[in-house]
Amino acid sequence: MTATPTQEASRPIPSQEAGSAVDIVRVRKDFGAAVGVADVSLTIGKGEFVTLLGPSGCGKSTLLGMIAGFVTPTAGKIVVDGADITDLEPYRRDIGMVFQSYALFPHMNVYDNIAFGLKMRKLPAAQIEAEVRRAIGMMKLDGFENRRVRQLSGGQQQRVALARAIVIRPKVLLLDEPLSALDKNLRAQMQVELSELHRKTGLTTIFVTHDQGEALSLSDRIVVMNKGSVQQVAAPVELYRRPANGFVASFIGEINALPPGRCEVNGGTASLVLPGIGPLAFPVAPATGFAPGRQVRAFLRLEHVRPVLGGEAGPNVVTGTVEAHIYQGSHTITRVVVEGIGLIETRVTGADIVAAAPVGASLALAVDLSEAVLLDAAE
Amino acid sequence: MLARRPFFITFLAPAVLTAVILAAAIFEVLQYSVREFIPGSLNVGGFTLANFAALNKPIYWWVLADTFFISLLTAIFSLLASYPVAYALVRAKKDWVRSALVSLSITPLFTGEIVRTFSWMLTLGTDGFINSMLRKLGLIDMPIQLMYTRFGVVVALVQFSMPVMIILLATAIAHVDRDCEKAAANLGASPTAVFWRITLPLTVPGILSGIVVVFAWTMSAFSTPQLIGGGKILMISNLAYLQGFSVLNLPFAATLSLIALICALGSLALMKGVTSRIERRLAVN
Repeated sequence: MTATPTQEASRPIPSQEAGSAVDIVRVRKDFGAAVGVADVSLTIGKGEFVTLLGPSGCGKSTLLGMIAGFVTPTAGKIVVDGADITDLEPYRRDIGMVFQSYALFPHMNVYDNIAFGLKMRKLPAAQIEAEVRRAIGMMKLDGFENRRVRQLSGGQQQRVALARAIVIRPKVLLLDEPLSALDKNLRAQMQVELSELHRKTGLTTIFVTHDQGEALSLSDRIVVMNKGSVQQVAAPVELYRRPANGFVASFIGEINALPPGRCEVNGGTASLVLPGIGPLAFPVAPATGFAPGRQVRAFLRLEHVRPVLGGEAGPNVVTGTVEAHIYQGSHTITRVVVEGIGLIETRVTGADIVAAAPVGASLALAVDLSEAVLLDAAE
Repeated sequence: MLARRPFFITFLAPAVLTAVILAAAIFEVLQYSVREFIPGSLNVGGFTLANFAALNKPIYWWVLADTFFISLLTAIFSLLASYPVAYALVRAKKDWVRSALVSLSITPLFTGEIVRTFSWMLTLGTDGFINSMLRKLGLIDMPIQLMYTRFGVVVALVQFSMPVMIILLATAIAHVDRDCEKAAANLGASPTAVFWRITLPLTVPGILSGIVVVFAWTMSAFSTPQLIGGGKILMISNLAYLQGFSVLNLPFAATLSLIALICALGSLALMKGVTSRIERRLAVN
């Protein structure tokens, strides 16, 4: 799979203020012969919430480490608020960070943890007190000031870590997979709180995660990374609807990849011709990337494949054999093997499909190409 | 559990046997300490508390106090000398530096106490390494008295205890969460501040156990004060030896040994109390 970094410099950045907060310019990190981060360039606007998303080992944490100053780039530069900080020691950077493990100081209570950064800045005691109180109030930690950090729940520790990072009024807030240690319900709750915190403080935030759900729900923009390279930079909706390549398409949400086919126009109807299946018509206007004669692979979201329980044949209907049902409460994902295409998944509300089309039965699927993503067949 | 895994008993047997023998030996010491001393004979008389009454002389109190003092000094200086070594041993970036430090700190454990003490005698003597170097450099005219001094004894004991101290400290330093140090740096703490406010406090449990172990260990030191102190520096073991093998007063030697044991255990218990209170306050672990 070839990486196609889409910089989209022309696209306006949804920032709250003008000017960029962080400029990452052709930053590279080699670990011996291995490439950790390969020539990444990225501009983050003031007040923007940007997520670095990718599988483990994709370089997202290394990139975050370079912004924080814990990892020295092999090449390139990092500019924050117009100042080149590439060679600045971490403690002179004024960048707040929440660690995956929270890294709270176990020998200090909640208050001293939060006050640490301000004490290091040698602020007057009265000001420290006021700022810490404010942060404690903002993170709803009132009454916990004298608690040991070990006595706190995961969610409370998380809030202390956030309070400690924002109290120094950092130029940028870095969040390194801060939700991964929490259980599911708490994670949803903290997502809301993170969002609220971002809205209240307006801090430029760089969030690292491998969880696409978190990325989609929190971010102004998402930077998808794989093998050290940026695959695509886009707003969540854009990323979901218009993935730039096969990696992004299959990493964000669930998607069906159809086998390579050819774009054709027959009698005014645009269609995708799949070998062994025949033409599938595009409903109104062909999807972006349609060009007669072009060899493409079509990617289809699960919601654009609909089971036709009557079983009637028709345009854009393919028939296959039900391989499995994956019941997930609110919906069921049904896996169907279609000859000539392979595996296709469809998502249906409820569990009725399990009885209507038992495993081994044949099932007709209506394929809606209106939202199909067409990518080069070579990918 | 023992019943369901009978091989446990087999495995435990050597340890149990050793413990029983040790208990028997200590009981024998206890038994000797309450026996009457018959001058000119290795046989002992009937039961008496005279040996304990004989302890109440300033000379014995001084030896006991000196033993405490030397042990405390040794523990403190051993800590000061070992911490940087342990820190470098854990944190050195180059592999060869770490392995070199491990070898340098651990190998002294494999040379006997006597060998090491003799090396110190060669180093500290009036014609020893230190004095001849200082004289060659023209810094002194007359040799400095290093042998037969409390200073010389403490120096040798510090070197003697360093391997153990280094191991205990290195373990503690290796357990410090590096993310905590990174977080402190991220919050504006310079490397010096990170050390004093994060690394050092988080290694306090290791520091305390190092001090306790070295202190209790030094309390029972024998050959080092014997050879380097040369009779001028008496620690409690040397006094017991003197009584037992020069005066041949075995009951009184037993009494002194018992006192030494009680003092060592007592100070261990005392320091354990103090350390657990400090640990609770720091809430580390």
